[in-house]
Amino acid sequence: MSYVHPEYLVDTEWVAAHSEDSNVRIIESDEDPLLYSMGHIPGAVQVDWFSTLQHPVRRDFLTKEQFEEVASNLGITNDTTVVFYGDKSNWFATYALWLFQYFGHQNVRIMNGGRAKWEKENRPLVKDVPSYEKTTYQANGPDKSIRAFRDEVQEQSSAKKPLVDVRSPKEYSGELISMPNYPQEGAQRGGHIPGAVSIPWSQAVNEADSTFKTPEELRALYEGKGIKSDEEVIAYCRIGERSSLTWFVLKYLLGYPNVKNYDGSWTEWGNLVDAPIEK
Amino acid sequence: MPIPPKLQEIVDDFASMSREEKLETLIGYAESLPPLPDRLKEEREKMEEVPECMTPVCLFGEKQPDGGVVYHFDIPPQSPTVRGLASILANGLNGSSPEEILSVPADFFTPMKLEEAITHQRINGFIGVLAHMKQAAVKLLENKS
Repeated sequence: MSYVHPEYLVDTEWVAAHSEDSNVRIIESDEDPLLYSMGHIPGAVQVDWFSTLQHPVRRDFLTKEQFEEVASNLGITNDTTVVFYGDKSNWFATYALWLFQYFGHQNVRIMNGGRAKWEKENRPLVKDVPSYEKTTYQANGPDKSIRAFRDEVQEQSSAKKPLVDVRSPKEYSGELISMPNYPQEGAQRGGHIPGAVSIPWSQAVNEADSTFKTPEELRALYEGKGIKSDEEVIAYCRIGERSSLTWFVLKYLLGYPNVKNYDGSWTEWGNLVDAPIEK
Repeated sequence: MPIPPKLQEIVDDFASMSREEKLETLIGYAESLPPLPDRLKEEREKMEEVPECMTPVCLFGEKQPDGGVVYHFDIPPQSPTVRGLASILANGLNGSSPEEILSVPADFFTPMKLEEAITHQRINGFIGVLAHMKQAAVKLLENKS
């Protein structure tokens, strides 16, 4: 058995061989915004989940026009193959990939294993920040078929359709509001959305080298918890970054046709007046 | 009591910086944070852990013969932002007395406008590091008496 869409994954060797390929743009997207500056894959540019991709005022992503500006400044054309990698098992790499898809960029990849694997293999990291010629970029979408908003999540919950809570077990139970060892902030209430099953994101990756688990292991993991491909699935976490990794796994590695990421996640749901919560 | 002059200088510097300058300066601080001295590696379990940070952070305060405190940190290189913030506090507070350290207000960094460069969650980590440096200072005061 192989992944349903293996073309969405590349390995470190492929990236090393394509770092000067003008049809390829390598993007580092990390949780820690300074990591890129300390050294990155030769030729890679940086996209920061917060300062680059979020709307400067509202809680939302960039507008389509602002996204076009970002892509254009990174020298990306509509045909460029964009490869994402990052720290923390590619949390923020999948988040950036998801947003690129939201604005219609189809040609995207994840470097399996992310930054940790590249470093482990003693591959080169450089501090030179490359600059690429500005392009004309035309965004599409936004593709709302991959992004869930709170009303849909409420309907999904009421209809007892699949919801995956990818946070840590203690966040799911309501004992913690944020990840263990992280500041306990961001939500007024703890618990989970009624009906959501708990499948922590980390179960989809190998601890040793941050690569994704095998197709067999992934299928057993999600189907074993009743998350199957015949229904629409919504994944959520605290702010939508860990759940974009689960979204990527379900959509591309397992080929589920309808998967959405709820980026409002617990920092929206746990603050919503009158929203039902299970503990 | 005013905050120690070295820390005040860093606060003033940051206050006048652009977002890019803040990030560059933070990188400089992260790179200059010395590794944990070998002699402290064995005493790691005695160090203060900072659970408010997004990464495992340990710190250790040592009293110098002149009464000043010197802090040592153990923070992984994969977390340059936290290293940079801890390094700012070490540079600003090393050599100060425990009493001076305890009198630093928890919001001393407001004029630095760090939120232009890093997220609020990281700023909370910064507050956490300072709080644990103060706890270490309290322990040093208790040991004296």
